[in-house]
Amino acid sequence: MTAKTTDRDRDWAAALAAANAGDGRAYARFLQSVTPVLRGVIRARGRSLGPDQQEDILQEVLLAIHAKRHTWDPAQPVAPWLYAIARYKVIDAFRRRGAGVHLPIEDFAEGLAAPEADPTAARDSAVLIGQLDARSAEIVRAVSLAGESTAEVGARMEMSEGAVRVALHRAIGRMARFAKGERE
Amino acid sequence: MRTEDLIAELAAAGPAAPALNPRATGLRMVMAVALAAGLFLLIAGPRADLAAKLVEPLILVKTLLPAMLAFIALPLALRMMRPDTRLGGRALWFALPAALAALLWIATFVTTAPQARFADVSAFSLAECLGLILAISALPAAFALRLMRRGASTRPRLTGALAGLAIAACAATGYSFFCTQDNPLFYLTWYGTAIAVVSAAGAALGGRWLRW
Repeated sequence: MTAKTTDRDRDWAAALAAANAGDGRAYARFLQSVTPVLRGVIRARGRSLGPDQQEDILQEVLLAIHAKRHTWDPAQPVAPWLYAIARYKVIDAFRRRGAGVHLPIEDFAEGLAAPEADPTAARDSAVLIGQLDARSAEIVRAVSLAGESTAEVGARMEMSEGAVRVALHRAIGRMARFAKGERE
Repeated sequence: MRTEDLIAELAAAGPAAPALNPRATGLRMVMAVALAAGLFLLIAGPRADLAAKLVEPLILVKTLLPAMLAFIALPLALRMMRPDTRLGGRALWFALPAALAALLWIATFVTTAPQARFADVSAFSLAECLGLILAISALPAAFALRLMRRGASTRPRLTGALAGLAIAACAATGYSFFCTQDNPLFYLTWYGTAIAVVSAAGAALGGRWLRW
C-alpha cells in the first residue's frame, strides 16, 4: 500500500474484507459508513435534482458496489475503488436522466390514471410500454398503472425490491428515449 | 424504498462472488488463443522451412513484434478490469513496438526496389493473411470479453480495445509460424491492419458488453 492510509480506510478495508467473506454485519456497517460520503458526492454533483432523485442515485451506487464488490483488491485502499465506482454510476445516472429531464413515477401514474387524460396520451404510453421487453413492461404496468408497490411486484416476480426499483427506473428512462424518437 | 432498508437487504445477501483474479483470467485468455492458433497450425501446418527461417532477423521480427505487443496489451487489459485503474504512463510502452514497426517499414521501403515493394500483394495473399488472423482471433476475443464482464471497468471501450489488441497480437504471433510472406512491408502492414480491426471490434463490443 503506497498511499497514506487513514483510520477510515483501515476500517473500510477490514469491514469490506469481512463482508466479502460473508459477514453480513460487517457489510451493513461498511455500507452505512460509506453512505453519507456517497450522499455528499451526489449532492455536490446533482444540485439540480430533487432529494428523492439524489437518493435514488445513491441507491443505484450502493447496488453497483454490491454487484462489483468482488473487484476490490484487498491489497489496495478502499477509497479510490469506492470513488471510481461512485463516479462511474453517478455519471451514468445523470446521463440517463438527461439534462434537466425529470420523469417522476408518481406524475406518470397520475397522468395515466386521471379520467380526463388525453386518450392519445394513454395510447402513446401503451405504445411506449409495448416497446419494452416483456419483463420491464410488466413492472411498469404493475407499479405505474396498477399502483402496486415495488415490494409486491418483487415478491410476485421473484426479484428483490431493489432490483425492481432499478428495472423500473431503467424502463422509464428507456420510455423517455422512445418518446423522443430514439430506438434501442 | 428507504436506503436503510436497501442496505439491510444487501447485507443479508451472503458472501461476495470469488474475488477477481486478473492473473487467472489472463491465463485463460492466453490458453484460449493458444488453443485457436495451435489448432490452426495443426491443420494448416507451420511453414516447411520454419527452423531455417527463424534465425533470419527480419523473419524473426514477424514473430517477436506481435509477441511484444501482446506482452504489453494483456497486462494493461487485465488491470483495466478494476474500476480504480488508470493507464497513465503505462500506455507509453506501446511506443516501443510502434516505433520499431515504423522504422522497419520505412527502412524496407527505402532499400527495396520500387517494383519489388508490393510485389507479394495479391487479393489471395491479403485475404489469407487478414482473414486467417481474424479467424484465429474471433472466438478467443469474444471469450476474453465475456471473461472481462466479471470486472468493473470504468472505460468499457478502451478495455475492450486492449483485450482485442492482446488477443489479435497473440493470434498474429501464432500465425507467423505459418506465414511465408517475409517482406516486412507486407507483414507489418497487414498484420497491423488485422490487429487494428480486432482492436476496433473489441472497442465496439466492449462498449456494449463491459458496461455495468
